[in-house]
Amino acid sequence: MFRHRLCSSLLLAAAGVTSFSTLAHAQQQPGDTSAPVVPGATVTNPPPPVLAPLPARSPSLQTTQTNDGTTTTAPTEAPPTDRTTIGPSTRATDSLQATEKVDAPQSAAGGRFEFGSYGRVQVASDLRGGTGQPANVVSHGTRIDEDSYAELELRREDDFAHGIHTKVVATLALFAPFFHFNGQETQSLAVRNLYAQAQYGKLTMWVGSRMYRGDDIYLLDWWPLDNQNTYGGGLGWNFDDKNSVAIHAGMTRLDDPTYQYQQIQVVAPFGSGVTNVTTLDRPRLIESAKYTHLIIPKGQTAGVKLVAYGEGHEISAGTTTDTVTNTQQALPSDWGFMVGGEAAFFTGKRDTFLQIFLRHARGLAAYDPLSTPTTFGQDKTTQGANETVLAIGGNYEKDWFGILVGGYVRFFRDASASQTSLQKYDEGTMVLRPQVYIGDHWGVAVEGSYQERRYAETVDTSNTALVASEWRAGIIPYFSPAGRGSYKRPQFRLLYAVTARNEGARELYAPQDVFAQRAVEHYAGVGVEWWFNSSSYP
Amino acid sequence: MKRTSKSPFVFSFPLLAGLACLLPGVTTGGCVSIDSQDAKPIIATHVADWRDEVIYQILVDRFADGDVNNDYSISPGALAKYQGGDWKGIEDHLDYLQALGVTTLWISPVVRNISADANIDGYHGYWQENLSEINPYFGDMSSLREMTAAAHEAGMKVVLDIVCNHMGQVFFYDINKNGLPDVSVYGSGGPGSPLTQVSEYAPDYDPNGVQSYSSAGGSGRAPIIFINDPTVDRVLPGPGILGSAAAYHGKGQILSYDNINDQPDEEVMTGDFPGGLKDIATENEEVRATLADAFATWVEQADFDGFLIDTVKHVEHSFWTEFGNTVRQRLKAEGKNNFLMFGEAFDGDDILLGSYTQPGQLDSVFYFSQHYTVFQRVFEYAHDHTMQMGTDQIQTLWDAKTVNYGSIPQTDGVPIAPYKLLVNFLDNHDVPRFLYDSAGDLPALRNALTLNMMAEGIPCIYYGTEQEFNGGNDPANREVLWNTGFPTTGDTFTHIAKLAQIRKQYIALRRGDTKVIWSSTHVGTEQDAGIFAFERAGGDAGSAYGLVVMNTNDTQTSSTANGTATMTTTLKGKTVLVDVLDPAQAKYTVNSDSTLSLTLKPQTSMILIPQSAVSSGS
Repeated sequence: MFRHRLCSSLLLAAAGVTSFSTLAHAQQQPGDTSAPVVPGATVTNPPPPVLAPLPARSPSLQTTQTNDGTTTTAPTEAPPTDRTTIGPSTRATDSLQATEKVDAPQSAAGGRFEFGSYGRVQVASDLRGGTGQPANVVSHGTRIDEDSYAELELRREDDFAHGIHTKVVATLALFAPFFHFNGQETQSLAVRNLYAQAQYGKLTMWVGSRMYRGDDIYLLDWWPLDNQNTYGGGLGWNFDDKNSVAIHAGMTRLDDPTYQYQQIQVVAPFGSGVTNVTTLDRPRLIESAKYTHLIIPKGQTAGVKLVAYGEGHEISAGTTTDTVTNTQQALPSDWGFMVGGEAAFFTGKRDTFLQIFLRHARGLAAYDPLSTPTTFGQDKTTQGANETVLAIGGNYEKDWFGILVGGYVRFFRDASASQTSLQKYDEGTMVLRPQVYIGDHWGVAVEGSYQERRYAETVDTSNTALVASEWRAGIIPYFSPAGRGSYKRPQFRLLYAVTARNEGARELYAPQDVFAQRAVEHYAGVGVEWWFNSSSYP
Repeated sequence: MKRTSKSPFVFSFPLLAGLACLLPGVTTGGCVSIDSQDAKPIIATHVADWRDEVIYQILVDRFADGDVNNDYSISPGALAKYQGGDWKGIEDHLDYLQALGVTTLWISPVVRNISADANIDGYHGYWQENLSEINPYFGDMSSLREMTAAAHEAGMKVVLDIVCNHMGQVFFYDINKNGLPDVSVYGSGGPGSPLTQVSEYAPDYDPNGVQSYSSAGGSGRAPIIFINDPTVDRVLPGPGILGSAAAYHGKGQILSYDNINDQPDEEVMTGDFPGGLKDIATENEEVRATLADAFATWVEQADFDGFLIDTVKHVEHSFWTEFGNTVRQRLKAEGKNNFLMFGEAFDGDDILLGSYTQPGQLDSVFYFSQHYTVFQRVFEYAHDHTMQMGTDQIQTLWDAKTVNYGSIPQTDGVPIAPYKLLVNFLDNHDVPRFLYDSAGDLPALRNALTLNMMAEGIPCIYYGTEQEFNGGNDPANREVLWNTGFPTTGDTFTHIAKLAQIRKQYIALRRGDTKVIWSSTHVGTEQDAGIFAFERAGGDAGSAYGLVVMNTNDTQTSSTANGTATMTTTLKGKTVLVDVLDPAQAKYTVNSDSTLSLTLKPQTSMILIPQSAVSSGS
């Protein structure tokens, strides 16, 4: 069963359902100079999009898979029951409605439990006796050498009277390394979803802790337009099968005692000892609104998807306390906004599409809510910071050939008074991954990419800006049990990538780091990637 | 000069602009780029005559915080810790300095330091760790270049504080050879076995080098082990040979600062500086070359106009000859002439100070003997006549200039004889502020400032003097200036500004030779108690003339006369002089016999210029 990702996201946006997963944006966000940017850091990139079925409860698009492995997408008036489920069918819901006048609305047949997952495990050598390491110099470089990561989703779904459908989603994320690699019985975990959603006619609502986002660019493992990770809630409204709107409000409050949250010890009011007092508590509030419009000529599978999107970010004033001297420092309130849009063309056949994103953020909105701004203006706000992104993604498949495309240019300026800063830069990348399918289950992909970040920072010994760039080429022979296609999973891979890094890329690392010394990096190993039945990757 | 990186984006053609940005060598509107002020400069000569300058000594960490993003681990209010000042802050407040009349900035060291040691920070810059790397607490190379470029654009010069004598506490002496930096106690405390505490960080000076020993006895030189603690930037020092034991004397910390025949003894020359700052073996030729190259490179990187060289008395004279010549010749070949190198020797021995200005060495020194002999004993002690000395101290000291200091300009150096180029100062970061030692005597401060600004040489003002800072010894004398809000209307600020303006207007007060025409041993109630007067005329000032008269006594209205003796000038009779320091511009006429009898209220001064010169404005 297959449903086109772009069409799906239309419905999901209206339903308040995310299209594709995130997580990595917790580490890799506008203005964030983590992993690929700052040497020595590690990266856990977000999982890719998955083309799984969705819980359609309104007029929808139905995508079917033909005998030759191609897919078609077309509007449909009736919600399909096109997945394997444990719970009741639509007819069961209908029968429940018939009893409504007698009994209070209740769940039919006890609902159903679902399990879904996204995951990737890769192990590689650098061909020098060490492990293969990611080498990106931009925020969102090619994912060919990304680290292992997995999500395990447990989901309860129920259908109630009046066509009401609910689900409770709990997603546990696992971060590399895993036990069999480092021998540590402890494991880095995160709760990436813990929310409940209800759909009632054209209205959808959800409340909880949630990854909440739109379309991604698979090759870059990146959601360039909307990508929220908050405690909060949202509402969605499907006007019809081509127009929907969704709004959301949520908050994050990171455990950073100098920025958002601090507890200090004071003398306990009773008896001896100490007690904790919260002296800094200023969550960032984020509001988002998204309008999605779908254009599909009657009788056609091809169409266009248009998205308009915006965010507001606010954080209140507060004070941070030096716990040694008990002196306080004021933290001013701050705010920002982001506006953006997406235009996507899709054929409705074999995942072929092309998407373009444009976004511009100012002030606090230029920084991801799961990261703390690292530089500020003299008033210690982010006013003056801005980010502009133009990104493209796409996929084309025909017969035995396919090609994935991803790329972007991004301009980031922090609010610092200094004219030079590692937080002022231009960056971009372009990645092409053509592949040939050999039979129904085998294939070979090759990948070529270029990435560059140009910093507003002078190379000490010259009159030029610090420019880090690299070329990368890779080859990925794979086995695909689900058949031909760039988005078919699971996919078992052999991997090899070689990266040629310029002097600027090497200068980003401490001189003692081999990445400061070597111009060429290798990454050779095996990997597997899967996704199925996940709310985060419908 | 406006850089383009601040403009966010070219919206009309975002893709084209974006792609263009990422093409090698291409910069367009909206793309980051390095403008001329951020790039490595083409160095040039920016000063005409160093005697025209007014130096302002800045402890960078304490002057102004222009970029909160380099405020790493600051502890506001704790003066032994970083406070957040930076080069951007200086650049942002050049107008404040110009209003004060400052023309040259002397900034504290810029090289990477050990950031903290024993809970004290290296905010001052004298705990050097790597002479080729920049101290990130004060900004990056671009912000340093922007600051010097902005200063030059404003007609100002920038002098860099450098240290050739020592590095920070980069190693320990492994006396007990256990590979760890210990603080041990030896002895039983009984007869013949005193308890002795030995720190392997800073053991006492041993002329044979710090020795290893145990209960079994001595075992030769203690190994030098470099400490690796990157959390406080304490790693292998550099560049080059400075990361090896061969670059250090390894004799332990100085205990005695004796001078022998007006020259430091070997202990002062080869011992570690207090605080365990490791003494560099400056007699080593490779070390010499490394130091000269490292500091000359900073001039090339940021277009500095001079060096203040720290702790010169702890380094042998031959080093200064070689260092001075090497640096001068290298910079001259690159277009940087008139490069000022003046040394700091924390010593009141005038002969010792002068020894560093002899032919082949430095252009000048920080006039420490004047600090003690004049500004401390005559001005700071004005409130205590049992301590105050007469103004004859000044004359005696000044009369020795031509004897003690070099009379020949250094080859390829500043083309002025060192004795005419001494750097005058009241106080600095190593001594209590004037107002601390003078018990807050503001009239004494302003009177001393008048002498400082009018005396032959180059006046230097320690930052915060204009705001009447009164801190005691280090670190209390290193206050945070930006807490004042940079006001420019205070009495001392306006007094300095007026002195600078007068100095700028009248060439005699900058370049004229000096002749003391009245001094006195009297500090009590005598007629001329506290009076001091000197002419600035002739020499490189041509026919210009200035006369400075001051009363250093804090209670007595005194005169330029004593009994039958009256002050005699070199002026012709009937010459009318105008007190340009007086808001009322009072006039005084020289008697026909060239004498001039003036009466001055306690702790006041006159700056007298011939009326003809005042009228012409020159």
